[in-house]
Amino acid sequence: MSKQWKPKSSLGDKVFVVCNTIFLAAFVIITLYPVLNTVALSFNNGIDAVRGGIHLLPRVFTLQNYKTVLGQQNIITGAYISVARTVVGTILALAANALLAYVVSRKRFLFRSQLSLFWVITMYVSGGMIPTLILYRNLGLTGTFWVYVIPGMISVFNMLVLRTYMMGLPEGLEESAQIDGANDFTIFVRIISPLCKPVYATVALFVAVGQWNSWFDVMLYNRMNTKYTTLQYELMKLLSSVMQQGGSASSAGQGAAAAVTPVTVRAAATVVTMLPIICLYPFLQRYFVAGMTLGSVKE
Amino acid sequence: MKAKRISWKEIKRQKFLMICTACFVVYGIIFYYLPLAGWIMAFQNYKPKDGFLGSEFVGLEKFKFLFSDATFLQVIRNTLAMGILNLVATFVMAIVFAILLNEVRLVVGKKLVQTISYLPHFLSWIIVTGILHDALSSTGVVNELLTNWGILDGPVNFFANKSYFWPIVAFANVWKETGWNAIVYLAAITSIDPGLYEAVTIDGGGRWAKIRHITLPSIKPTIMILLIMNIGNVLNAGFEVQYLLGNGLVKSVSDTIDIYTLTWGISQNDYSLGTAAGIFKSVVAIVLIFAANKFAKRNGEQGMF
Amino acid sequence: MKKATWQRVAAALLMAVMLLGVAGCSKGEDGDIIQFTMFGAMPQPEINDDNEIMNLIAEKVGVKVKETWLTGQTAAEAIGTIIAGGDYPDFIDGGEAMMALYDEGVLVPWDDYLEKYPNLKELFTDQEWDALRQDDGKIYWANQFQNNYGENRATTHNDEAFWIQVRVLEWAGYPEINTLDEYYDVLTRYAEANPTMADGTKVIPYTMLCDDWRYFCIENAPQFLDGYPNDGSVIVDKENLKIVDYNTTPTAKRYFTKLNEEYKKGTIDIEFATQTYDEYIAKLSTGAVLGMCDQWWDFYGTVNDTFKQQGLDLLGCNYVPLGLTIDEGMDNRWHTYGDTLNVSCGIAVTTSCKDPDAAFKFMNDILDQEIHDLRFWGIKDVDYLVDEDGMFYKTPEMRMQWADKSYQASHRCLYAYMPQWRGTSRDGKNAMMPEEQTSEFFSDLAEPLRKCFEAYGANNYPDMIGSVVEENAPWFPMYSYSNAMTTATPGGVAWTKMGEVKHEWLPRIVMADDFEAAWEQYMAAYNAVNPQDFLSEMQEELNRRAS
Repeated sequence: MSKQWKPKSSLGDKVFVVCNTIFLAAFVIITLYPVLNTVALSFNNGIDAVRGGIHLLPRVFTLQNYKTVLGQQNIITGAYISVARTVVGTILALAANALLAYVVSRKRFLFRSQLSLFWVITMYVSGGMIPTLILYRNLGLTGTFWVYVIPGMISVFNMLVLRTYMMGLPEGLEESAQIDGANDFTIFVRIISPLCKPVYATVALFVAVGQWNSWFDVMLYNRMNTKYTTLQYELMKLLSSVMQQGGSASSAGQGAAAAVTPVTVRAAATVVTMLPIICLYPFLQRYFVAGMTLGSVKE
Repeated sequence: MKAKRISWKEIKRQKFLMICTACFVVYGIIFYYLPLAGWIMAFQNYKPKDGFLGSEFVGLEKFKFLFSDATFLQVIRNTLAMGILNLVATFVMAIVFAILLNEVRLVVGKKLVQTISYLPHFLSWIIVTGILHDALSSTGVVNELLTNWGILDGPVNFFANKSYFWPIVAFANVWKETGWNAIVYLAAITSIDPGLYEAVTIDGGGRWAKIRHITLPSIKPTIMILLIMNIGNVLNAGFEVQYLLGNGLVKSVSDTIDIYTLTWGISQNDYSLGTAAGIFKSVVAIVLIFAANKFAKRNGEQGMF
Repeated sequence: MKKATWQRVAAALLMAVMLLGVAGCSKGEDGDIIQFTMFGAMPQPEINDDNEIMNLIAEKVGVKVKETWLTGQTAAEAIGTIIAGGDYPDFIDGGEAMMALYDEGVLVPWDDYLEKYPNLKELFTDQEWDALRQDDGKIYWANQFQNNYGENRATTHNDEAFWIQVRVLEWAGYPEINTLDEYYDVLTRYAEANPTMADGTKVIPYTMLCDDWRYFCIENAPQFLDGYPNDGSVIVDKENLKIVDYNTTPTAKRYFTKLNEEYKKGTIDIEFATQTYDEYIAKLSTGAVLGMCDQWWDFYGTVNDTFKQQGLDLLGCNYVPLGLTIDEGMDNRWHTYGDTLNVSCGIAVTTSCKDPDAAFKFMNDILDQEIHDLRFWGIKDVDYLVDEDGMFYKTPEMRMQWADKSYQASHRCLYAYMPQWRGTSRDGKNAMMPEEQTSEFFSDLAEPLRKCFEAYGANNYPDMIGSVVEENAPWFPMYSYSNAMTTATPGGVAWTKMGEVKHEWLPRIVMADDFEAAWEQYMAAYNAVNPQDFLSEMQEELNRRAS
C-alpha cells in the first residue's frame, strides 16, 4: 500500500513526517521506559532501589529478587494451574464464542437478533459479586478448577469481533456447501473455521491474556484450596506479605534477612509473569491486524 | 427486526442452529441471568444467615438511603467524570496513534513501534499503578526530569493534589491501552481500498487530505461500534486504579461507585446497599447503550444488535 | 500436522486437569493426622506444606493446620466475601471484622471446652474470660497477644511512641527529650548538621504514615501527649469516668499546629500524606528517616533486619522510643505494663469444623510447654542450645538462620495466630519467646543502641520511655469496643464517617497554608458527622465495663 504513494515531498508532508516521527518516538519512550526500568529494578538490590535514580541499568546487581519470587512455595503448582487454566480456558472460550458468533452471523437464522440482544445485555448487567459467589457455590464450582473456565466462557466483545469477521466472509461459500448437502455443523467446522484462523488467533490471545493474569477469582473461589491457586495469586501473596515480617505475633526478627523490598520484588514478579506472554505473542501477532475487524463489513 | 416467515421446514433446516441457541440460552441463563435474582437483596435487609427467602423486605429504603447520601452523589460524579475522561482520552489516543502509525513508511519501524505499543496491556493494574506511584514519587523520574529541566524548583507530591488525580488516572488508562486499542483501527485502515488514496493524490491532496477524506470516514463504522459498546461502560470507570492510587487526601475525587459498593456493601456487610448501587449502575448502562444503539442506527450506522 | 500436535497437547492437559480434580476429592485426613484449615484476615508469610516443625507438632498432637492469610483485600472485605459465600475454614481470625462472624452465628462457643482443656482455661482469669463474652453470654474467641505467663519479661516497647534514631541522640549528647518542641528541635538540628547519609541519600527528619487504617501514626498521638494510655479511640477521664474525645482537645490542636509549623519548615517529609505502607517501610529501611510516630510492631521487623544486613545498625540508625508529653513534667502512659486484652478479635472455631473437639484440643495441646518451645524457640540443638543452668540461647548463626525467610517457610512453624504466651516459661527461668530472653536481647543489640541504653540508664526499650507503671483500668482498652462497632448503630455510622473525615483532613491541616482556617473547616466537617453519637455509645460501654 505504502509504495503506491508517490513520494511527493511538499513542505507540509515534510513537516508532517518530522512531527510524526517525534510523536511516535516519544510514544515509544514513554511506553518502553517503565518496562525497561522494571527490568532494571528487578535485578537491583531492594534497599538501594529506594534511593531512586535507577533508570535502565541496575546499580547494585543482585538475583535475590528472583530467588525470592521463584523460591515462593507453590510457585510450580501455581504455574502449572496457570498454564492449565490458560490452555483449557482459551480452548473452551474460543469454541463457545466461535460457535455463538457463527449462529448469530447466519443471516437466515430466525432468532438471530434476539440471541444477539440476549447476550449483549449480559455485557452490562450483572448480579454482582455476592450472588455470583452464592451461585457458583450451589453449582459446586467453588473449590474446583472448573470455576476458572466454565463460567464466563462467553465474552460479548470477543463474540462481536468473531461475528463481524464471519459476516465479512463471502456468502457464496456457504450457499454452495448447502447445495452440496452440508449441514450447519459441517459448514462451521469445515468451511468457516479454516477461514477464521486470523480472528481465532486474535481472540485466543485476548482470552489467554485474561486467564493468565487473573488472580481475583482465585481469591474468591479457591482461597482455602492451595491446590488450585495460580501463579499470579501466589505472587500476590508474596507481595502482600513481603513487608509483613514481624507483626505483633511472629517476632524473633533477629539476624539479617535478605534485603528485598516490595518495589524490587514486584519488579521481578512482573518480569516473571510477563515473560511467557512476550514469548508467545510474536507468533500470534501476525494474525492480529488481519483478524481484528469490527464495525462495518465490506460487501 | 424484520418479520420472518416461520415455517416448520425452515425450523428443521435450522435444527443445528436451534440446538446451539438452546444451549447458549441455557448457559446464559444459568451463568449470567440467574445471579440477577440476587437483585432481590436490594429490596431487603439481607442477612446471609437468613437467605433470600428469610430476609426482611424493606422496599425502596436502600435506594432512598443511597440517593440521600451525599457521599454517593459524590462518587457518581467522580465515576462519571473519570469514565468520560478515560473514554475520550483512550479513544482519541488510539485513533490518533493508529492513523499516525499507518503513515510510517518504514515497515520495520512500524512493526517495532506497534509491538512495543502492546506491551503495557499485558501488565496488571497492580503493576501499572506501582510503576506510576514510583515514577511520580518525590525521587521518581518525573520529578527528577522536571527539576533538572528547571520547570520545578523542587519535587512535587502529585498524589496530594486533588486536581491531578483524574488526569493521572486518564493517563494511566491511555498508557496501558492505547497500543492495544489501536489494533482494531489499524485493521480497519488496512482494509481500505488503496485506490481511494490514489484518487486523492491525483486530485493533488496531501497527507492531511487523505487522512481527513479517506482514512477517517473509512474507520468511522469501527469507531461507532466501539463507542456504542463503551458508552455503556462509562460508569465502570474502574475500581483497581482508583483503589490503588487513591489516598485520604484525594478521597473525595477518587472514590468511584465500585469502591463505594465495596466499602459499604462488603466491608460493612450491608450487602443490600451494595446491590442497590450495582442495580443503579446496570440500569444506567442499559439506558445509555440502548440510546446509543438507536442513535447510531438512525444515523445509518451498524448497531450492535 | 500442527493442528494434531495442538489437539494432543490440549487433550493431555485436559486429562491432567481431570486427574487433578479427582485428586482434589481425597482430602481431610492424612493417615491418623487430622488436617484443619485456618484463615487469618491479616497478611502473613505462608509456610510450606512440608514445614518441618509443623510436621513434628502434627506427630505429637495429631493435628496439622493449613493456614492462609489475607491477600489483596482488606480484612473486612475478605470476611465479607467469606460470609457471603458461606465457605468457612475450621479456624478463623477475622481481625477487625470478627463481630460480623459472630452476628452470622458461625462460631462455636468455647464455654464447654474450657472446662475440658486446662491450658485454654489457664490463658485468662475468670474476669478476663468474662470480658470476652458476647451479648448472648458465651465466649467465641480468645485474643492471642500481650498475654504474660508468670513474670512479664518484655524487653521491647511493643506499643506506640515517637521514635528517634540513636545516632541523633548520640550526636546531641543524649539529652532529655520530653516534649514535642524538644523532639523536633533535635531532629532539625541534626538534619542541618548532617544533611545526607554516607551514600548521599538525603536525610528525612520526620515522616508520618497516613495509609489506610495505619493513619493512627498521625491520628492518635494527642491521647498520649495528654498522658493517657492507649484506649485507642477515646480518652477515659478516670476521675469522673467520662469519655473525652481526643480529636478536639486543646492538646490535639497544639499537636497539629506543631506539625503544621514543622511541615512548613521542611522538617516533615513532603510525601507523608500519600506514601503507601510499603514505601514508608522501604524509606525507613534506608536509615534516612530520623524519627516518626508509630507502633513498634508496625515497623521493626523489616526495618531492623535490613539495618543489620546493611550495617546501618552499627551507624546508629536503630530507633528508640521517647515518652513525649505536650508539656514538661507530665506523666506518660505510652507503654502498657499490664496485659492488654483486646476483646474485639481473636482465634475462633467455626461451625464448618467437623470435629470442634479436636480443634479445641489442638489449641490446648500447642500451649504445652514442649510444643510452645517448638513453636517459638525451634528444635533444641538445631535452633537453640541449652546451657548448664537450663537457660536457652542461640548462636549468632542460629539467630541468622532463624531470621532467614526460606528457612522460616520450610522449618519454622509459629502458628502465629493461635493461642500463645509471652512472659516466663513454665520452667521458671526462660522466656516464652526468644526476643524476651534477657541474654538474647543483649547479645542481639548493636553497639550504638547499647551505648544509648547505658547513657539513659535503661535496661530495655520500656525503660527508655519511662511510662507510669500501673495496673490497667478494668475498662482498658476501649478500642476493643469501637473496633467491633458496625454501621448498624448511629454510633457505628458516626465512627466510620469520623474516620473518613480525619483521614482526609488531618494530612490537609498539616499541609495547610492557613492553619487556623483549615482547622475551622476540619472541625466543621468533623462535627457534621455527629461524633456525639459515637461518644455516647462509648460512654455507655464505659459505664458497663466500669460497673
